[in-house]
Amino acid sequence: MMRNLFITSTAVFWLAVAVFWVADLRYVDGTGERHSVAVERTWTLEQVSRHDRAADCWMAIDGTVFDLTAYLPQHPSNPAVILPWCGKDASTAYRTKTRGRPHSAYADRLLTTFRIGTLIAR
Amino acid sequence: MRPLFIFRLPAALVVSAAPSVVLAVVWHAASPITLPLWRDIAIVTGWLGTAMLAASTVLMIREPHLARLLGGLELSYRWHHRVGVLAYLALLIHPLALAFGGWAQSPHVAWESLAPRPRGWPVWLGWGALILIMIGLAAAFARQLPYRRWRGLHALLGVGVLLGFSHVWVMLGEPVPLLAIVAIGVLALAWRVLATDFGLAALPYRVTSIARPAAGVIEASVAPCGAALDVMPGQFVLAAFGRNSNYAGCGEYHPFTISAIEAGRCLRMTVKALGPCSHRLQSLEPDAIVRLQGPFGSFLSEPHDRPELWIAGGIGITPFMAALRAEPRSTPTTLIYLYRATSDAAFLEELERLAQTDPNFALFSEATGDRTPTVDALTARVPRLNECRAYICGPPAMVDAMTRRLVELGIALRHIHYERFDFRS
Repeated sequence: MMRNLFITSTAVFWLAVAVFWVADLRYVDGTGERHSVAVERTWTLEQVSRHDRAADCWMAIDGTVFDLTAYLPQHPSNPAVILPWCGKDASTAYRTKTRGRPHSAYADRLLTTFRIGTLIAR
Repeated sequence: MRPLFIFRLPAALVVSAAPSVVLAVVWHAASPITLPLWRDIAIVTGWLGTAMLAASTVLMIREPHLARLLGGLELSYRWHHRVGVLAYLALLIHPLALAFGGWAQSPHVAWESLAPRPRGWPVWLGWGALILIMIGLAAAFARQLPYRRWRGLHALLGVGVLLGFSHVWVMLGEPVPLLAIVAIGVLALAWRVLATDFGLAALPYRVTSIARPAAGVIEASVAPCGAALDVMPGQFVLAAFGRNSNYAGCGEYHPFTISAIEAGRCLRMTVKALGPCSHRLQSLEPDAIVRLQGPFGSFLSEPHDRPELWIAGGIGITPFMAALRAEPRSTPTTLIYLYRATSDAAFLEELERLAQTDPNFALFSEATGDRTPTVDALTARVPRLNECRAYICGPPAMVDAMTRRLVELGIALRHIHYERFDFRS
C-alpha cells in the first residue's frame, strides 16, 4: 500500500509541477508583466510613518518607498520580524535580514513591484 | 512481538506530529496578519513533514532501551518506513500549496513560488531535499536491489533529510521553538550514524572457535574482549566481523540470533549462508574480531505460565537452541522443527539428545523438501494445543501461514509470538 501511495503521489506531484510550468509559459506569452506604478510620487519619512500597521504597511528602503500591505501575508518569516518595520526606514533591516544576510535577487525583483515612490528629506 | 506494543507507535507518531500542527495553528491565530488558506496549508505541511522526518530518524536509532520502549527493532523499522512515506507526502504538498497561493495573483507568481532558480539557494536546498528523498524512497521500495546498492541509495535519504532541515533553518530566518524538532532530527541522525554505522556503541568480542552444525551454516563462539552484552535467550545482536591474517569480514552490521549463552558471558552466534556477507562468513576463522551491538528483541520472554509450542523453520531454530541450552524447560514444551533436508537440519542430534534427557521437552522434526510445510499432522500430537503459548521463528511466509493456521486451531492471537528478521537495515 505504501508503495502505491509513493508512486501515485510522486506522479501527481510532477504532473502538478508541469501544469504550473506550462501555465507560466503561456501566461508570459499572453498578458505580460505584473502591474507597475504609473505615477512616480515622493514621500517624506513623516508621511511613511503614518502607515505603520499590518493593514497599512509602508516602508522606506534605500531611498524608495514601498507599500507592502498586500505582500505581508506572503513573507516567509514570522510576521513579528517584519511588522515592526512598517512606517520606518527599513534599509538596514532589508539588507541584513537582521542577521547579516542579504535578501535574494528574487526578493529584490519582487520588492520593486510594490514601489509607490521615492523618499525625500522633507 | 507483543501485539500490545503495536498501539504505542501510532501514539508516538501523533505525539511527534501533533506539536507542529498545534503550534502552527496557535501561531497563525496569534498572528497580526490573516494568511491566505494555501499559505496556511504550505506552512502546516512544511512543519508536519519536518516533524515526521525527525520522528522517522528517531525510529531508526538502534539502541536497546529505545527499541524496547518502542516495541522492538522490527516494529520500529516498520514505522520508520511508514512515517518516512507520510513525511514525504506532506513535503510534496508543501511547495504545491505555495504555488496554489501564488496562482491567485498570476500563473507567473505561482511558478516563481515553485522554481528554485529565481529564488536562490534556500529554495535549491528544499528542492535538493525533496529529490534526494524521492530517489531514496524509490530505492527503498525496490526490494529486488542488491543489498549493498539498496543501502547506498537508502543513505541518500539521510542526506535529503539534512538538506530539508537546512532549508527549514534558512527559510525561517529567525530562531523559533519549533526548530527543536529540527534539532531532534539532526541529533537522531548523528546518533544513528556514529553509534550504529560507525560502531561507537559496539563492544568488541574475539572469535574463539567455529563449529559447522549443518551444510552452509557456522556457529561462531565469541568471548568479550572487555565489557560484555547482557543477552537473554531469544534475543539477537547486530554484528560486524573484522579480519585476521587469513580472513576479511564484511565490516557492516547484520542481525544474528544468539544460539547459546555460556559461562564468562561468552556467546555463540549461528550464521547461515544466505547473502554475500553471510557466504563470506562461512570461512570465518578463530581470532577474528567481531563488534556487537544490542541485545535486541523480546522473543521467548513471556511468562512460562502455560504449555509452549515452538515452531522453527530452518535456521529459525537458533533462538530455541539458546533457550534449551540455558536451562531445562520449566513448562511442557513441544518443538516442531521443519527443514528442507536432513543435511540442512542444524543441531538436530543435540535436540534429539535434549528430548531424551529433559522430561518437559518433546521434539517433532520433519524434512519438508520443497513443498509448503503443514503443521496439522504434527500439531495433532501436541497435548492441550489450544492452551499453548506459541513461538514461531522462520521465513516470513512460513510465519504468516503458521500464525493463521494456529489461530484456526484455537490458539488465541495474543498467545502467538514470532520473529522473522526480514528488516533491511
